[in-house]
Amino acid sequence: MTPHIRIDGLTVAYDKPLAGGAFIAVANLSLDVPRGTFVTIVGPSGCGKSSVLLAIAGLTKPASGRVLVNDAPVVGPGRDRAMVFQEFALMPWRTVVENVRFGLELQRWSGEDLTARALRYVRLVGLQGFDQYRPHQLSGGMRQRVGIARALAVDPEILLLDEPFGALDAQTRESMGDELLKIWEQDKKTALFVTHSIDEAIFLGDIVVIMSKGPGRILETIPIDLPRPRPIDLMDTPTFVEYRRRIRHHLTSETPARA
Amino acid sequence: MISTVAVALFLASWEIAPRLRLVDPFFTSRPSQVLSAGVDIVRGGTLWHDAAVSLSEFAAGFALALAAGVPIGLMLGTFPTLRYLVDPPLMALYATPQLALLPIIVLWLGIGMGSKIAVVFIGSVIPIVVNSMAGVRQVERPLVLAARSFCATRRDVFIKVILPASLPAVMIGVRLGLSRAVLGVVVAEMYVSQEGVGNQIMRLGSAFRVDHLLVYVLLVSAFGLGLTTAARKLEERVAR
Repeated sequence: MTPHIRIDGLTVAYDKPLAGGAFIAVANLSLDVPRGTFVTIVGPSGCGKSSVLLAIAGLTKPASGRVLVNDAPVVGPGRDRAMVFQEFALMPWRTVVENVRFGLELQRWSGEDLTARALRYVRLVGLQGFDQYRPHQLSGGMRQRVGIARALAVDPEILLLDEPFGALDAQTRESMGDELLKIWEQDKKTALFVTHSIDEAIFLGDIVVIMSKGPGRILETIPIDLPRPRPIDLMDTPTFVEYRRRIRHHLTSETPARA
Repeated sequence: MISTVAVALFLASWEIAPRLRLVDPFFTSRPSQVLSAGVDIVRGGTLWHDAAVSLSEFAAGFALALAAGVPIGLMLGTFPTLRYLVDPPLMALYATPQLALLPIIVLWLGIGMGSKIAVVFIGSVIPIVVNSMAGVRQVERPLVLAARSFCATRRDVFIKVILPASLPAVMIGVRLGLSRAVLGVVVAEMYVSQEGVGNQIMRLGSAFRVDHLLVYVLLVSAFGLGLTTAARKLEERVAR
Protein backbone atom coordinates (compact mmCIF):
# COMPACT_ATOMS: atom_id res chain seq x y z
CA MET A 1 0.00 0.00 0.00
CA THR A 2 1.39 3.40 -0.89
CA PRO A 3 1.87 5.82 2.00
CA HIS A 4 -0.52 8.74 2.32
CA ILE A 5 2.38 11.16 2.27
CA ARG A 6 5.78 10.39 0.82
CA ILE A 7 8.59 12.86 1.30
CA ASP A 8 11.35 12.03 -1.11
CA GLY A 9 14.79 13.66 -0.78
CA LEU A 10 13.27 16.98 0.25
CA THR A 11 15.58 19.97 0.42
CA VAL A 12 14.20 23.37 1.35
CA ALA A 13 16.39 26.44 1.01
CA TYR A 14 15.81 30.12 1.67
CA ASP A 15 17.69 33.03 0.19
CA LYS A 16 19.78 34.94 2.67
CA PRO A 17 18.76 38.51 1.97
CA LEU A 18 21.89 40.19 3.33
CA ALA A 19 24.70 37.63 3.31
CA GLY A 20 23.82 36.29 -0.12
CA GLY A 21 23.70 32.59 -0.92
CA ALA A 22 21.10 30.29 0.56
CA PHE A 23 20.21 28.94 3.96
CA ILE A 24 19.49 25.22 3.85
CA ALA A 25 16.56 24.61 6.19
CA VAL A 26 15.93 20.98 5.29
CA ALA A 27 18.49 18.70 3.61
CA ASN A 28 17.62 15.61 1.63
CA LEU A 29 14.88 14.44 3.98
CA SER A 30 12.78 11.37 3.25
CA LEU A 31 9.80 10.12 5.22
CA ASP A 32 6.74 7.98 4.58
CA VAL A 33 3.54 8.67 6.48
CA PRO A 34 0.90 5.93 6.36
CA ARG A 35 -2.75 6.95 6.15
CA GLY A 36 -4.38 7.60 9.50
CA THR A 37 -1.18 7.96 11.48
CA PHE A 38 -0.40 10.75 13.87
CA VAL A 39 3.21 11.74 13.28
CA THR A 40 4.94 14.18 15.58
CA ILE A 41 8.14 15.92 14.62
CA VAL A 42 10.35 17.09 17.45
CA GLY A 43 13.63 18.97 17.33
CA PRO A 44 15.44 22.14 18.34
CA SER A 45 14.37 25.50 16.94
CA GLY A 46 15.75 26.19 13.52
CA CYS A 47 15.92 22.52 12.56
CA GLY A 48 13.56 23.03 9.65
CA LYS A 49 10.58 21.16 11.07
CA SER A 50 8.19 23.92 10.08
CA SER A 51 9.67 23.98 6.59
CA VAL A 52 8.77 20.31 6.20
CA LEU A 53 5.15 21.15 6.98
CA LEU A 54 5.14 24.16 4.66
CA ALA A 55 6.45 21.95 1.86
CA ILE A 56 3.69 19.40 2.45
CA ALA A 57 1.15 22.22 2.56
CA GLY A 58 2.44 23.45 -0.78
CA LEU A 59 3.32 26.82 0.71
CA THR A 60 7.02 26.59 -0.03
CA LYS A 61 8.73 25.19 -3.09
CA PRO A 62 11.40 22.52 -2.49
CA ALA A 63 14.87 23.35 -3.80
CA SER A 64 15.08 19.68 -4.70
CA GLY A 65 13.22 16.46 -3.97
CA ARG A 66 9.47 16.27 -3.77
CA VAL A 67 6.42 15.58 -1.68
CA LEU A 68 3.78 13.11 -2.85
CA VAL A 69 0.28 13.01 -1.43
CA ASN A 70 -1.74 10.02 -2.57
CA ASP A 71 1.05 9.39 -5.07
CA ALA A 72 0.57 12.78 -6.74
CA PRO A 73 3.28 15.45 -6.43
CA VAL A 74 2.38 18.51 -4.37
CA VAL A 75 2.55 21.64 -6.51
CA GLY A 76 0.60 24.00 -4.25
CA PRO A 77 -2.02 24.14 -1.53
CA GLY A 78 -4.94 21.75 -1.91
CA ARG A 79 -8.31 20.96 -0.38
CA ASP A 80 -6.94 17.67 0.93
CA ARG A 81 -4.62 19.47 3.37
CA ALA A 82 -5.29 22.04 6.08
CA MET A 83 -2.90 23.78 8.39
CA VAL A 84 -2.94 25.05 11.98
CA PHE A 85 -0.46 27.83 12.74
CA GLN A 86 1.58 28.59 15.84
CA GLU A 87 0.60 32.27 15.75
CA PHE A 88 -3.05 31.21 15.28
CA ALA A 89 -3.25 33.39 12.13
CA LEU A 90 -6.86 34.36 12.79
CA MET A 91 -8.36 37.35 11.00
CA PRO A 92 -8.78 39.92 13.81
CA TRP A 93 -11.75 41.61 12.09
CA ARG A 94 -13.70 38.36 11.85
CA THR A 95 -15.72 36.80 14.65
CA VAL A 96 -15.02 33.25 15.80
CA VAL A 97 -17.63 31.73 13.51
CA GLU A 98 -16.53 33.92 10.60
CA ASN A 99 -12.96 32.78 11.11
CA VAL A 100 -14.05 29.16 11.00
CA ARG A 101 -15.99 29.98 7.81
CA PHE A 102 -12.85 31.50 6.28
CA GLY A 103 -11.47 28.29 4.79
CA LEU A 104 -14.89 27.23 3.51
CA GLU A 105 -15.27 30.54 1.69
CA LEU A 106 -11.82 30.38 0.15
CA GLN A 107 -12.32 26.79 -0.96
CA ARG A 108 -15.62 27.84 -2.56
CA TRP A 109 -17.76 25.41 -0.60
CA SER A 110 -21.35 25.46 -1.75
CA GLY A 111 -24.56 23.50 -1.41
CA GLU A 112 -24.75 23.91 2.34
CA ASP A 113 -25.10 26.69 4.84
CA LEU A 114 -21.48 27.63 5.53
CA THR A 115 -22.29 29.43 8.78
CA ALA A 116 -24.19 26.43 10.09
CA ARG A 117 -21.29 24.18 9.20
CA ALA A 118 -18.82 26.59 10.82
CA LEU A 119 -20.97 26.65 13.97
CA ARG A 120 -20.85 22.86 14.20
CA TYR A 121 -17.06 23.04 14.28
CA VAL A 122 -17.12 25.90 16.78
CA ARG A 123 -19.08 23.55 19.03
CA LEU A 124 -16.78 20.62 18.29
CA VAL A 125 -13.82 22.50 19.76
CA GLY A 126 -15.86 23.56 22.79
CA LEU A 127 -16.41 27.22 21.92
CA GLN A 128 -20.21 27.24 21.93
CA GLY A 129 -21.41 30.62 23.13
CA PHE A 130 -18.28 32.35 21.86
CA ASP A 131 -19.13 32.31 18.16
CA GLN A 132 -19.69 36.09 18.01
CA TYR A 133 -16.47 36.97 19.88
CA ARG A 134 -13.46 38.40 18.13
CA PRO A 135 -10.01 36.83 18.52
CA HIS A 136 -8.65 39.57 20.80
CA GLN A 137 -11.43 38.81 23.28
CA LEU A 138 -10.27 35.20 23.64
CA SER A 139 -7.43 33.54 25.55
CA GLY A 140 -4.58 31.93 23.63
CA GLY A 141 -6.00 28.46 24.12
CA MET A 142 -9.41 29.53 22.84
CA ARG A 143 -7.84 31.23 19.83
CA GLN A 144 -6.06 28.07 18.84
CA ARG A 145 -9.32 26.16 19.19
CA VAL A 146 -10.63 28.50 16.51
CA GLY A 147 -7.55 27.71 14.42
CA ILE A 148 -8.19 24.00 14.82
CA ALA A 149 -11.89 24.36 14.03
CA ARG A 150 -11.04 26.36 10.90
CA ALA A 151 -8.77 23.56 9.69
CA LEU A 152 -11.21 20.77 10.54
CA ALA A 153 -14.19 22.55 8.97
CA VAL A 154 -12.86 22.06 5.45
CA ASP A 155 -12.71 18.32 6.16
CA PRO A 156 -9.12 17.75 5.03
CA GLU A 157 -7.54 14.31 4.66
CA ILE A 158 -4.34 15.61 6.19
CA LEU A 159 -3.94 17.89 9.17
CA LEU A 160 -0.72 19.89 9.40
CA LEU A 161 -0.08 21.44 12.80
CA ASP A 162 2.89 23.79 13.13
CA GLU A 163 3.67 24.08 16.86
CA PRO A 164 0.02 24.81 17.47
CA PHE A 165 0.42 24.97 21.25
CA GLY A 166 3.83 26.66 21.23
CA ALA A 167 2.42 30.01 22.32
CA LEU A 168 0.38 28.58 25.21
CA ASP A 169 1.24 28.12 28.89
CA ALA A 170 2.12 24.62 30.11
CA GLN A 171 -1.25 23.75 31.65
CA THR A 172 -3.33 24.97 28.74
CA ARG A 173 -0.96 23.16 26.46
CA GLU A 174 -1.52 19.81 28.16
CA SER A 175 -5.28 20.04 28.15
CA MET A 176 -5.32 21.23 24.53
CA GLY A 177 -3.25 18.19 23.54
CA ASP A 178 -5.66 15.95 25.39
CA GLU A 179 -8.65 17.50 23.62
CA LEU A 180 -6.98 17.44 20.24
CA LEU A 181 -6.47 13.69 20.64
CA LYS A 182 -10.12 13.17 21.53
CA ILE A 183 -11.21 15.01 18.39
CA TRP A 184 -8.61 13.25 16.28
CA GLU A 185 -9.69 9.82 17.48
CA GLN A 186 -13.18 10.37 16.03
CA ASP A 187 -11.98 9.96 12.46
CA LYS A 188 -8.20 9.55 12.61
CA LYS A 189 -7.08 11.83 9.84
CA THR A 190 -3.45 11.64 8.87
CA ALA A 191 -1.75 14.26 11.05
CA LEU A 192 1.67 15.85 11.18
CA PHE A 193 2.37 17.77 14.33
CA VAL A 194 5.51 19.82 14.85
CA THR A 195 6.56 20.57 18.43
CA HIS A 196 9.41 21.52 20.74
CA SER A 197 8.02 19.45 23.55
CA ILE A 198 9.18 15.86 23.91
CA ASP A 199 6.22 14.99 26.15
CA GLU A 200 3.76 16.39 23.66
CA ALA A 201 5.42 14.45 20.86
CA ILE A 202 5.15 11.12 22.70
CA PHE A 203 1.68 11.72 24.10
CA LEU A 204 0.15 12.55 20.73
CA GLY A 205 2.16 10.53 18.24
CA ASP A 206 2.03 7.09 16.72
CA ILE A 207 5.46 7.91 15.41
CA VAL A 208 7.94 10.47 16.74
CA VAL A 209 10.36 11.86 14.18
CA ILE A 210 13.44 13.41 15.76
CA MET A 211 15.14 16.10 13.72
CA SER A 212 18.48 17.81 14.15
CA LYS A 213 19.52 21.13 12.82
CA GLY A 214 22.26 22.45 10.67
CA PRO A 215 20.76 21.57 8.19
CA GLY A 216 17.49 19.84 9.07
CA ARG A 217 17.56 16.08 8.77
CA ILE A 218 16.00 13.09 10.52
CA LEU A 219 18.01 11.64 13.40
CA GLU A 220 15.65 8.86 14.33
CA THR A 221 12.09 7.69 13.85
CA ILE A 222 10.56 6.11 16.94
CA PRO A 223 7.22 4.26 16.85
CA ILE A 224 5.26 4.92 20.03
CA ASP A 225 3.68 1.72 21.21
CA LEU A 226 1.16 3.10 23.68
CA PRO A 227 -2.52 2.13 23.55
CA ARG A 228 -5.21 4.63 22.53
CA PRO A 229 -7.24 6.37 23.80
CA ARG A 230 -4.46 7.84 25.88
CA PRO A 231 -5.34 9.26 29.29
CA ILE A 232 -3.39 12.29 30.47
CA ASP A 233 -1.72 10.40 33.35
CA LEU A 234 -0.06 8.16 30.78
CA MET A 235 2.83 10.61 31.06
CA ASP A 236 3.75 9.16 34.46
CA THR A 237 3.99 5.53 33.35
CA PRO A 238 7.42 3.85 33.09
CA THR A 239 7.04 3.20 29.34
CA PHE A 240 6.37 6.88 28.70
CA VAL A 241 9.31 7.89 30.84
CA GLU A 242 11.52 5.48 28.95
CA TYR A 243 10.45 7.01 25.60
CA ARG A 244 11.16 10.43 27.00
CA ARG A 245 14.64 9.36 28.11
CA ARG A 246 15.42 7.88 24.69
CA ILE A 247 14.29 10.91 22.73
CA ARG A 248 16.05 13.34 24.99
CA HIS A 249 19.21 11.28 24.65
CA HIS A 250 19.03 11.55 20.85
CA LEU A 251 18.40 15.27 20.95
CA THR A 252 21.19 16.09 23.38
CA SER A 253 23.86 13.77 22.01
CA GLU A 254 23.35 14.75 18.38
CA THR A 255 22.92 18.47 18.83
CA PRO A 256 26.11 20.19 19.89
CA ALA A 257 25.39 22.90 22.44
CA ARG A 258 25.66 25.91 20.21
CA ALA A 259 23.13 28.32 21.59
CA MET B 1 -16.70 68.42 33.32
CA ILE B 2 -13.30 69.99 34.03
CA SER B 3 -12.98 70.99 30.38
CA THR B 4 -16.40 72.71 30.56
CA VAL B 5 -15.16 74.71 33.53
CA ALA B 6 -11.95 75.54 31.66
CA VAL B 7 -13.89 76.83 28.65
CA ALA B 8 -16.19 78.88 30.88
CA LEU B 9 -13.23 80.38 32.73
CA PHE B 10 -11.55 81.26 29.48
CA LEU B 11 -14.67 82.92 28.05
CA ALA B 12 -15.26 84.82 31.28
CA SER B 13 -11.74 86.25 31.47
CA TRP B 14 -11.86 87.08 27.76
CA GLU B 15 -15.05 89.05 28.37
CA ILE B 16 -13.92 90.74 31.58
CA ALA B 17 -10.27 91.59 30.87
CA PRO B 18 -11.02 94.01 27.98
CA ARG B 19 -13.83 95.61 29.98
CA LEU B 20 -11.41 96.31 32.84
CA ARG B 21 -8.96 97.68 30.28
CA LEU B 22 -6.42 95.06 31.22
CA VAL B 23 -6.04 94.43 27.51
CA ASP B 24 -6.99 96.51 24.53
CA PRO B 25 -10.36 95.33 23.15
CA PHE B 26 -9.34 96.66 19.77
CA PHE B 27 -7.01 93.66 19.41
CA THR B 28 -8.82 91.00 21.41
CA SER B 29 -12.51 91.72 20.98
CA ARG B 30 -14.89 90.05 23.46
CA PRO B 31 -17.13 86.98 23.31
CA SER B 32 -20.25 89.15 23.36
CA GLN B 33 -18.95 91.18 20.42
CA VAL B 34 -18.00 88.05 18.53
CA LEU B 35 -21.50 86.74 19.13
CA SER B 36 -23.16 89.83 17.72
CA ALA B 37 -20.68 89.82 14.83
CA GLY B 38 -21.79 86.25 14.20
CA VAL B 39 -25.39 87.36 14.00
CA ASP B 40 -24.36 90.13 11.58
CA ILE B 41 -22.48 87.74 9.36
CA VAL B 42 -25.28 85.20 9.24
CA ARG B 43 -27.76 87.96 8.33
CA GLY B 44 -25.31 89.63 5.97
CA GLY B 45 -25.48 87.00 3.28
CA THR B 46 -21.93 86.52 1.97
CA LEU B 47 -21.25 83.81 4.55
CA TRP B 48 -23.18 81.21 2.61
CA HIS B 49 -21.43 82.01 -0.59
CA ASP B 50 -17.98 81.94 1.00
CA ALA B 51 -18.72 78.74 2.89
CA ALA B 52 -20.00 77.10 -0.29
CA VAL B 53 -16.87 78.06 -2.20
CA SER B 54 -14.54 76.79 0.51
CA LEU B 55 -16.55 73.62 1.04
CA SER B 56 -16.60 72.72 -2.62
CA GLU B 57 -12.87 73.28 -2.94
CA PHE B 58 -12.35 71.14 0.11
CA ALA B 59 -14.74 68.40 -0.99
CA ALA B 60 -13.47 68.21 -4.57
CA GLY B 61 -9.81 68.13 -3.53
CA PHE B 62 -10.35 65.61 -0.78
CA ALA B 63 -12.57 63.33 -2.85
CA LEU B 64 -9.92 63.24 -5.56
CA ALA B 65 -7.26 62.52 -2.96
CA LEU B 66 -9.31 59.65 -1.56
CA ALA B 67 -10.09 58.20 -4.96
CA ALA B 68 -6.47 58.32 -6.06
CA GLY B 69 -4.61 57.89 -2.77
CA VAL B 70 -6.12 54.67 -1.45
CA PRO B 71 -5.63 52.60 -4.64
CA ILE B 72 -2.16 54.02 -5.24
CA GLY B 73 -1.13 53.36 -1.63
CA LEU B 74 -2.46 49.80 -1.69
CA MET B 75 -0.68 49.15 -4.96
CA LEU B 76 2.62 50.56 -3.70
CA GLY B 77 2.31 48.39 -0.62
CA THR B 78 1.72 45.30 -2.73
CA PHE B 79 4.45 45.73 -5.33
CA PRO B 80 7.90 46.38 -3.81
CA THR B 81 9.54 47.36 -7.11
CA LEU B 82 7.02 50.13 -7.60
CA ARG B 83 7.55 51.22 -4.03
CA TYR B 84 11.34 51.51 -4.35
CA LEU B 85 10.78 53.62 -7.42
CA VAL B 86 8.53 56.23 -5.85
CA ASP B 87 9.60 56.05 -2.22
CA PRO B 88 12.19 58.88 -2.22
CA PRO B 89 10.02 61.52 -3.97
CA LEU B 90 7.00 60.40 -1.96
CA MET B 91 8.80 60.81 1.35
CA ALA B 92 10.16 64.18 0.22
CA LEU B 93 6.61 65.30 -0.55
CA TYR B 94 5.37 63.88 2.75
CA ALA B 95 7.89 66.04 4.59
CA THR B 96 7.15 69.16 2.51
CA PRO B 97 4.36 71.42 3.73
CA GLN B 98 1.94 71.43 0.82
CA LEU B 99 1.69 75.21 1.05
CA ALA B 100 5.29 75.61 -0.05
CA LEU B 101 4.02 74.50 -3.43
CA LEU B 102 1.29 77.14 -3.50
CA PRO B 103 3.14 79.71 -5.64
CA ILE B 104 3.95 77.22 -8.35
CA ILE B 105 0.38 75.84 -8.30
CA VAL B 106 -0.98 79.33 -8.73
CA LEU B 107 1.40 79.80 -11.61
CA TRP B 108 -0.06 76.74 -13.27
CA LEU B 109 -3.71 76.95 -12.33
CA GLY B 110 -4.40 80.62 -11.62
CA ILE B 111 -6.20 81.97 -8.57
CA GLY B 112 -9.59 80.32 -9.15
CA MET B 113 -10.96 77.22 -7.46
CA GLY B 114 -8.59 74.97 -9.39
CA SER B 115 -5.49 76.00 -7.50
CA LYS B 116 -7.24 75.51 -4.14
CA ILE B 117 -8.50 72.09 -5.17
CA ALA B 118 -4.95 71.22 -6.15
CA VAL B 119 -3.53 72.36 -2.82
CA VAL B 120 -6.13 70.34 -0.92
CA PHE B 121 -5.46 67.34 -3.15
CA ILE B 122 -1.68 67.41 -2.79
CA GLY B 123 -1.86 67.95 0.94
CA SER B 124 -4.25 65.11 1.66
CA VAL B 125 -3.27 62.57 -0.97
CA ILE B 126 0.25 62.12 0.42
CA PRO B 127 -0.67 60.98 3.95
CA ILE B 128 -3.37 58.76 2.45
CA VAL B 129 -0.88 57.11 0.08
CA VAL B 130 1.84 56.75 2.70
CA ASN B 131 -0.44 55.26 5.35
CA SER B 132 -2.27 52.92 2.96
CA MET B 133 1.10 51.69 1.77
CA ALA B 134 2.27 51.14 5.33
CA GLY B 135 -0.98 49.33 6.08
CA VAL B 136 -0.36 46.75 3.37
CA ARG B 137 3.22 46.25 4.45
CA GLN B 138 2.19 45.68 8.06
CA VAL B 139 -0.16 42.82 7.23
CA GLU B 140 1.04 39.86 9.25
CA ARG B 141 2.62 37.21 7.11
CA PRO B 142 0.85 34.27 8.82
CA LEU B 143 -2.54 35.69 7.82
CA VAL B 144 -1.55 35.54 4.17
CA LEU B 145 -0.10 32.05 4.61
CA ALA B 146 -3.32 30.90 6.27
CA ALA B 147 -5.40 32.20 3.37
CA ARG B 148 -3.10 30.56 0.84
CA SER B 149 -3.24 27.27 2.73
CA PHE B 150 -6.98 27.27 1.99
CA CYS B 151 -6.29 27.64 -1.73
CA ALA B 152 -6.82 31.41 -1.86
CA THR B 153 -6.11 33.04 -5.22
CA ARG B 154 -4.10 36.26 -5.34
CA ARG B 155 -7.38 38.12 -5.67
CA ASP B 156 -8.79 36.32 -2.61
CA VAL B 157 -5.71 37.20 -0.59
CA PHE B 158 -6.09 40.84 -1.55
CA ILE B 159 -9.82 41.12 -0.88
CA LYS B 160 -10.13 38.88 2.17
CA VAL B 161 -6.82 39.59 3.92
CA ILE B 162 -4.80 42.57 2.66
CA LEU B 163 -7.71 44.97 2.29
CA PRO B 164 -9.42 44.46 5.66
CA ALA B 165 -6.07 44.14 7.45
CA SER B 166 -4.83 47.48 6.14
CA LEU B 167 -8.11 49.33 6.66
CA PRO B 168 -7.14 50.77 10.08
CA ALA B 169 -3.94 52.25 8.62
CA VAL B 170 -5.88 53.64 5.64
CA MET B 171 -8.21 55.36 8.09
CA ILE B 172 -5.28 56.98 9.89
CA GLY B 173 -4.19 58.35 6.52
CA VAL B 174 -7.69 59.65 5.89
CA ARG B 175 -7.78 61.47 9.22
CA LEU B 176 -4.36 63.07 8.67
CA GLY B 177 -5.41 63.94 5.13
CA LEU B 178 -8.58 65.61 6.39
CA SER B 179 -6.75 68.02 8.68
CA ARG B 180 -4.24 68.84 5.95
CA ALA B 181 -7.12 69.48 3.57
CA VAL B 182 -8.81 71.95 5.91
CA LEU B 183 -5.51 73.72 6.46
CA GLY B 184 -4.83 73.79 2.74
CA VAL B 185 -8.12 75.30 1.71
CA VAL B 186 -8.07 78.07 4.31
CA VAL B 187 -4.47 79.14 3.87
CA ALA B 188 -4.60 78.94 0.08
CA GLU B 189 -7.64 81.18 0.10
CA MET B 190 -5.90 83.64 2.37
CA TYR B 191 -3.12 84.16 -0.11
CA VAL B 192 -4.63 83.68 -3.50
CA SER B 193 -8.34 84.12 -3.73
CA GLN B 194 -11.15 86.57 -4.06
CA GLU B 195 -13.73 84.57 -2.20
CA GLY B 196 -14.03 81.83 0.39
CA VAL B 197 -13.71 81.65 4.16
CA GLY B 198 -9.92 82.04 4.15
CA ASN B 199 -10.20 85.09 1.98
CA GLN B 200 -12.70 86.64 4.41
CA ILE B 201 -10.38 86.00 7.34
CA MET B 202 -7.57 87.79 5.52
CA ARG B 203 -9.73 90.73 4.53
CA LEU B 204 -11.19 91.18 7.99
CA GLY B 205 -7.71 91.04 9.45
CA SER B 206 -6.52 93.86 7.19
CA ALA B 207 -9.61 95.82 8.14
CA PHE B 208 -9.00 95.28 11.91
CA ARG B 209 -12.41 93.63 12.29
CA VAL B 210 -11.27 91.22 15.01
CA ASP B 211 -14.78 90.27 16.10
CA HIS B 212 -15.93 89.35 12.59
CA LEU B 213 -12.64 87.62 11.84
CA LEU B 214 -12.99 85.40 14.91
CA VAL B 215 -16.41 84.24 13.78
CA TYR B 216 -14.87 82.79 10.63
CA VAL B 217 -11.98 81.29 12.58
CA LEU B 218 -14.39 79.60 14.98
CA LEU B 219 -16.35 78.28 12.02
CA VAL B 220 -13.25 76.71 10.51
CA SER B 221 -12.11 75.16 13.77
CA ALA B 222 -15.58 73.74 14.46
CA PHE B 223 -15.60 72.24 10.98
CA GLY B 224 -12.13 70.76 11.38
CA LEU B 225 -12.88 69.43 14.84
CA GLY B 226 -16.12 67.84 13.65
CA LEU B 227 -14.41 66.12 10.76
CA THR B 228 -11.46 64.73 12.67
CA THR B 229 -13.72 63.55 15.48
CA ALA B 230 -15.89 61.73 12.98
CA ALA B 231 -12.80 60.24 11.34
CA ARG B 232 -11.49 59.11 14.70
CA LYS B 233 -14.80 57.43 15.51
CA LEU B 234 -14.68 55.62 12.18
CA GLU B 235 -11.09 54.68 12.85
CA GLU B 236 -12.00 53.10 16.18
CA ARG B 237 -14.78 51.16 14.52
CA VAL B 238 -12.54 49.59 11.89
CA ALA B 239 -9.70 48.94 14.34
CA ARG B 240 -11.63 45.86 15.63
